[in-house]
Amino acid sequence: MSWSGKVCVGCGVLLWLTFATPVQAAEETAETEETAEESGLRLKWGLEVKTHYRDSDLNRFAVPFPFTPEQLPVGETRGFQETVNPGSHLEISTATLLLDATWSETLQAHGKIDFIDLYDRNPTSTDKKVDVDEIWLRFGRETDPATLSERSGLYLKIGKLPHFERQDDRHLESYGLVSTAFNRFEDTGAELGIDLGRHVYVKVSATQGNPVFIRDPNALAGDNGTPDQMRLNPDPELGTGIVILYDAEVEDLDLDGDLEMGAGLGLRFADEGGRNGIDVLAWGYQRTLAETVELEGTFYGGDLDLLRGPADLFPFPALEGDEKREVGANLWLYIGGFSLFGQYVDQELAGLPRTGIEGEVAWSFDLPLVWALGGRQLFPYIAPAVRYSKLDNDFRNPRQTPAPSLAWDWEKLDAGVRLGIVQGIDLTLEYADNSFILGSGAEAENNELLTTLRWRT
Amino acid sequence: MNRRATSLLSLVLFFAASSFAAGRAAHAEDLRGRVQLLAKGGKGPARGSDVREAVVYFEPAAPAAPRPPATPFQMVTEKKEFEPRVLTVPRGSRVRFPNMDPILHNVFSVSGENSFDLGLYRKGPGKEVKFDRSGVVRVFCNVHHDMVAYILVLDTPFFTSPDAKGEFRLTGLPRGPGRLTVWHEQVEPWTADVPLPQGGGSLNVRVEVSKPRLPVHLNKSGQSYQRRDRYGNQ
Repeated sequence: MSWSGKVCVGCGVLLWLTFATPVQAAEETAETEETAEESGLRLKWGLEVKTHYRDSDLNRFAVPFPFTPEQLPVGETRGFQETVNPGSHLEISTATLLLDATWSETLQAHGKIDFIDLYDRNPTSTDKKVDVDEIWLRFGRETDPATLSERSGLYLKIGKLPHFERQDDRHLESYGLVSTAFNRFEDTGAELGIDLGRHVYVKVSATQGNPVFIRDPNALAGDNGTPDQMRLNPDPELGTGIVILYDAEVEDLDLDGDLEMGAGLGLRFADEGGRNGIDVLAWGYQRTLAETVELEGTFYGGDLDLLRGPADLFPFPALEGDEKREVGANLWLYIGGFSLFGQYVDQELAGLPRTGIEGEVAWSFDLPLVWALGGRQLFPYIAPAVRYSKLDNDFRNPRQTPAPSLAWDWEKLDAGVRLGIVQGIDLTLEYADNSFILGSGAEAENNELLTTLRWRT
Repeated sequence: MNRRATSLLSLVLFFAASSFAAGRAAHAEDLRGRVQLLAKGGKGPARGSDVREAVVYFEPAAPAAPRPPATPFQMVTEKKEFEPRVLTVPRGSRVRFPNMDPILHNVFSVSGENSFDLGLYRKGPGKEVKFDRSGVVRVFCNVHHDMVAYILVLDTPFFTSPDAKGEFRLTGLPRGPGRLTVWHEQVEPWTADVPLPQGGGSLNVRVEVSKPRLPVHLNKSGQSYQRRDRYGNQ
């Protein structure tokens, strides 16, 4: 059976599972929860599966790097940065298992395990196919962004956990340049949150620190330093991608080195129901870059090893020191179905400065009840969204580099709409207008259309 | 008893019954008035607020216990709304919540001793709830945040709702002191001591809209309907 056939069968199975047991499942869940409540432990699990139709433009940009003939595909005389997987593709990108264990309002554990993990595969396609994205234990109550806390209090979260400044309720499947570069992936360590009254809050974190690596800001990360590329005249299936520097996912637990310290101070106002609220957060991180970080799926090392280029012979000219520092600010605004998220980041990466700005606007509209299926409304909502992001890399490339895109200035406009099909299933259609300024000063693009069918229990 | 005595007794009984009926009629009072909903600040009429959803009720100083009917009242979920939006019932009444929609609803209230939770249920006759405590019961749906309704559980049988012009009339009220209350979901309750008879004229009640039509509320678990994490986000 072809891949598209498998995807269609898979979708059919998911739709059957969705409609076959709506009310009974709810009643069974209620019984389970009642039983568990008696013992103080409540367990909840969920599944999430995403299938995509992706259409990626084909783009290639020659790179000023002295590859030897053996390092290039047969017939090629130059190396290229190119779209990871151009053309039209139907694929299942993610199957995720979510687990929540709640003992009380102040003690909760959470796990998120990705299977397949095609778009989050990090940093290359030869990375692990099964990945524990999050696993943490939290003591205390944590307040959602732009929601008032009930009272002063604190929480402590330990494990592999998301950055506290990350936008968690994105309204498109894609990521902006800033979220990709600075806080897309989880880190390992501890986070302390303190609510000083209902409006003021503080965040402090001590974590391992995400290794600096490179990926394409579109759906697929790109293959760089994969075993395929070690062969004679490699002609790998997946391209390098048009890459940016980003904070990659933490691969293994290693708290021996310097920790990354983070802190934030926030102020929020909201109504009691949590539908309308505003939240501003100023934050910063600092850590010492490692000489190298081993990453599964690539023979390139992360952190300074990456910034010094292959064999440490092609460093960025402005490279200096080993400090990685970010300061930034977030804004969350919710008014009924309208939401606005904004983030600004100023980073210095071993003497390489760059800034980024990102903003997403979305509006979710409830649709009138016209059709129903299995006790659920068909098409309950529609939510258009637009995201703009910009990355200004204020440093020059080395004269020779296999990845000149790292120093280009980028702009990305993602626009799309999410349609609720039925509770638990939604369809997102979006287009990424991804443009950058080449070293020559010319403007180029690497655009992508993405359609996502998401099923969640 | 001879025929003459019988006739005399019948006449006496007739006059006694007539006097009693006349006496009762003489002690049943009316209360008329008009309710005006004003915009915030009291300048002009409130827009988007329906005066017909107000409830006007009179509580005599000597309480008149209401009698709940044998059949339950109904509050229906239809097209993701409650119908009626405002239901007034005597204390001790039962209310049934049929679901006319082809989708699941979960009707609940967290209004003190009148709290209830019907759980998720599909189209059908629904369940009944008995309201043994007087007060205002705010009714919500745990699935649909925008669904809201009110049940006023009253200790008096004397209540009505104004017409589209805001005019109301309460009839059959007992003489003597009592308290008149005007309730509307968007205003603070208005009350006044009103001795009956009213002494002619009409009562003019002007109240300012100070609350939104969709009140701020949480779900039945005390949580926001909207989660702002990647799992709850739709």
